[in-house]
Amino acid sequence: MDFMIRAATPEDCKDISRMIMELAVYENMPDQVKISHEVLEQDGFCKNPFFHCLVAEVAEQYRTTEGYTVIGYALFFYTYSTWKGRSVYMEDLYVMPEFRGEFPGKGVGTALMSKVAQVGKEQQCVRLQFSVLNWNTPSLDFYKAKGAQDLTDSEGWHVLRFDGEALDKLAQMAPKN
Amino acid sequence: MDYTIRVATLEDCKDIYRMIMVSRCGDRRVAQGGTCSVCARRTHGHSELAKHEKVSDQVKIAQRDLEQDGFSKNPFFQSIIAEVPEQHRSKDGHSKVGYALYFFAYSSWKGRSVYMEDLYVMPEYRGKGIGKALMSKIAQLGLAAGCNQLNFAVLNWNKESMDFYLSQGCWDVTTGLDYHCMRCEGPALEALARGDPKN
Repeated sequence: MDFMIRAATPEDCKDISRMIMELAVYENMPDQVKISHEVLEQDGFCKNPFFHCLVAEVAEQYRTTEGYTVIGYALFFYTYSTWKGRSVYMEDLYVMPEFRGEFPGKGVGTALMSKVAQVGKEQQCVRLQFSVLNWNTPSLDFYKAKGAQDLTDSEGWHVLRFDGEALDKLAQMAPKN
Repeated sequence: MDYTIRVATLEDCKDIYRMIMVSRCGDRRVAQGGTCSVCARRTHGHSELAKHEKVSDQVKIAQRDLEQDGFSKNPFFQSIIAEVPEQHRSKDGHSKVGYALYFFAYSSWKGRSVYMEDLYVMPEYRGKGIGKALMSKIAQLGLAAGCNQLNFAVLNWNKESMDFYLSQGCWDVTTGLDYHCMRCEGPALEALARGDPKN
């Protein structure tokens, strides 16, 4: 195999940050990225980390023209279902374009996602959940080939969000007890 | 009516579990033309809960799972409880009348967030602001932990809930950004974890 999947270290955060931006550009929302690699270091490598991360690294001879050997990542965290128990949520899965599809050996994206599933299984997680943009056909095809169900289509699930002023306002209403 | 919102303790798991089971079916509001996903009936009342056998088929976790998963060293979730004083306890003698279950999550774009998995108030205690108070408390705890988003999921045919939440100032990420929620479980998840070659 010409790449390896391993747990990210704080030193990987610069590469992860770079790839987060690449993914945001792909999703047509680059202006939405607000956090730096320093924030990732803090939140992912503190005592009770907010997330876990895996990176895909290639051998030296495959480094990119800019000199990168860390060419993919999966960022995930543990969640809970009061129906089924422990679950894992895969927030991001990304592989640099030149390392997709035809790259020697097993697919990098598949290897990353499998590792997330494996790590989740070790923690007795029974579900792996994630989101996909509805127009992102290559990704939808990739995930459906792995047996993923689209819960928005099949059951009507929508994610709602409080942020900014609405979140502040909501918090201010909390009883003082 | 007086009530307090407080952080749940291990001893609260019995009541949280009771309310999880009740909320799954006997209290479920079924949308027009829809069916309950637990028992496939079109509508049913709270009084039918006790006779309902299918609830246990759907909820796979036990009370001890809540105790282990919520109150160990690295908990998978946090919980808050709404409690009423003695004189307002339910006819079955319950003073813990609502709960919310949440956990910390992460956005690779925005950072720390909080996800509200469950929000429930016993029917006879609704209309008094308890649900709002529980949700507000999560927002407050989330902000205190450095979160800048509170996310949760709603079924898009549940018009009453949708309207309520949107009126509180949240927005629909699924409609707005066109994200779909996806899941792998069961045999598909097993195959993925094994790294089956056909994947």
